[in-house]
Amino acid sequence: MMDVGRHPRVELMTFSEVETVSGFVGNFHVTVRKKARYVDPTECTSCEECSKVCPVAVPDEYQQGFSSRKAIYIPFPQAVPSAFILDMDNCLGNNPIACGKCSDVCEKKCIDYDDQDELVNIEVGVIIAATGMDVYDPTEYDEYGYTRFDNVITSMEFERLICAGGPTGGNFMRPSDQERPKRIGFIQCVGSRSRDGRGNPYCSNICCMNTVKDTLLLCDHYPDTESSVFYMDIRAFGKGFEDMYMRSKEEGVKYIRGIPGEVVEDPKTGNLILTVENTTTGKLEQHELEMLVLSQGVIPRKDNDTIKKLLTLSSTSDGFIMESHPKLKPVDAPTKGIFIAGCVESPKDVKESVTQASAAAARASILLNAGKTKVEAITSQVNAELCNFCGICATVCPYNAILAPDRKAKKPPTIIQAACAGCGACAAECATDAITMRHFTDDQILAQIDAILSHKPHEHLITFACNWCSYAGGDNAGTSRLQYPTTSRLIRTMCSGRVDEKFVIRAFKMGAPMVLVSGCHFADCHYISAVHWTQKRMDRIWTKMEKLGIRPERLQLEWISAAEGQKFAKVMRDLEETVKQVTMEEIEHSMKVMAEEEIRMAEKKAKARPKPVAEVAV
Amino acid sequence: MAAKEFTFRCLKCGHEYQGMYDAKNVTERSCPKCRSNSIRRLPAGKAAKK
Repeated sequence: MMDVGRHPRVELMTFSEVETVSGFVGNFHVTVRKKARYVDPTECTSCEECSKVCPVAVPDEYQQGFSSRKAIYIPFPQAVPSAFILDMDNCLGNNPIACGKCSDVCEKKCIDYDDQDELVNIEVGVIIAATGMDVYDPTEYDEYGYTRFDNVITSMEFERLICAGGPTGGNFMRPSDQERPKRIGFIQCVGSRSRDGRGNPYCSNICCMNTVKDTLLLCDHYPDTESSVFYMDIRAFGKGFEDMYMRSKEEGVKYIRGIPGEVVEDPKTGNLILTVENTTTGKLEQHELEMLVLSQGVIPRKDNDTIKKLLTLSSTSDGFIMESHPKLKPVDAPTKGIFIAGCVESPKDVKESVTQASAAAARASILLNAGKTKVEAITSQVNAELCNFCGICATVCPYNAILAPDRKAKKPPTIIQAACAGCGACAAECATDAITMRHFTDDQILAQIDAILSHKPHEHLITFACNWCSYAGGDNAGTSRLQYPTTSRLIRTMCSGRVDEKFVIRAFKMGAPMVLVSGCHFADCHYISAVHWTQKRMDRIWTKMEKLGIRPERLQLEWISAAEGQKFAKVMRDLEETVKQVTMEEIEHSMKVMAEEEIRMAEKKAKARPKPVAEVAV
Repeated sequence: MAAKEFTFRCLKCGHEYQGMYDAKNVTERSCPKCRSNSIRRLPAGKAAKK
């Protein structure tokens, strides 16, 4: 941090928040709110005279509330810049009757009570999101007694208590009586790997080794301490981690396989009685401990949703930001020019975070050094003559790559080619067909449908498969030699969001007994949220089918990932059976009504388009 | 716009169930019975088949 702060080519904006981000790769416009510090950091020498006279004391967030800080303070010892900051929420103010003492003693006169937030506009070529994570609050695990019993603490609190720079100056003591605990327990996976509705289902990755490290610290500093670790599995998978784990065991730390069911406090001694089933011996055990440490998991930052909106990112079901590709582009965000590093992407330790940050910096520098970028070959384009300026395209675009049209000025939408990823959701939603794709055009897809259904149409299942997941899932089924019926015909689209209503109508018009639309699971969507539009559109088509007297069951939807070859084959086998249940009468009916619907839709689209100038004049 | 309760019908097994739907926060649907994703949100007012 110090090095970054000193670097001549790095502008560090601390105590600041990103307000808006617009633009695209190479041309991002970012507005940053530099919050008022009320102390001039360029003048402040950190002499501490101000904090000595400050009469306000509030819990110190950095010390986990174990000690207090003043209203004018340095957030933590290594803070950059090393300057004081005034917490205006707790400051008594500059009224001489109320206070103003810090201003009086400041020789450099660097305290300004009237300081204001400042909005700074910057132009950047690439953005790296490294906003970190939060820690899980274990209060909901009531059986462990956190916040009920003084001597039950979290692993973060333990860090502060054992740290030389902590609230006790490194004198390890328990909160209830300030005595040094000699029997300490650690409970692993608090808020992680949970399937009971509390906490999170994922592994937080760092807690096992953090506990192993803590036990070794205790062995080193206080050899007479007995440590017991209650765990499900110890995941010591990194370089040197297994050795560290074994060393902890050799030092005498007890590892007991079992998660405690109950913790009660002895009110006389403040000691904790912990009941656990040791799954290795199959016996119920009780342990009396003087301190209990809950190894709390890692959770996404609470403002991750804001970050997602600002940078047009998507997240996994866990809430962490999703990478462009887990294997091939692990530090690239789906939006071009944006990279991710650290725990914003998933829980990880320092080494992994540094590795990812280095990779992100390298990826970013490739773009910056080149000074130019290759645009996707498959992008959308607007036919201005057909546009009715409704603006749905701009709403649909997951990348904010479409500048909304201006109805009054009769200005059609503008597609930022550098930002367009080519999902085709805009083309599928456009009511007037004013948006078309370069490659995977409507004509090409319709021609495929016509060709497939030109011979024995009633035997064929038409499947629209997205390029990244479902189509790859089909490949997976093939390479895994999984059997599925030969009657299914796949039509590849870049995204299931590209599947236009007219493709489905054409398939039924041509005599398809069934149509399947398949795409990525929501958490895997290669195009951020384009898959959401698939589901919305399917609801609309199902309603239309019902109105036209066609069973909605003849149009199916499945989310199949690239790894789900088995699911792909099973879906195909199941649908083959359903295809057999579709009668010839049904097919003939749908061919007739969909032919009429196709004409009706074409007329509706023609009506929705703006009239040519010459026609208006007539 | 807050999430509203709707009836969802699985187009594979016919199972119907109640669930929340928020147009601004669309979530992946999966049949609690057969795990199919062909889940149709029935238009409001359309009573579930009993």
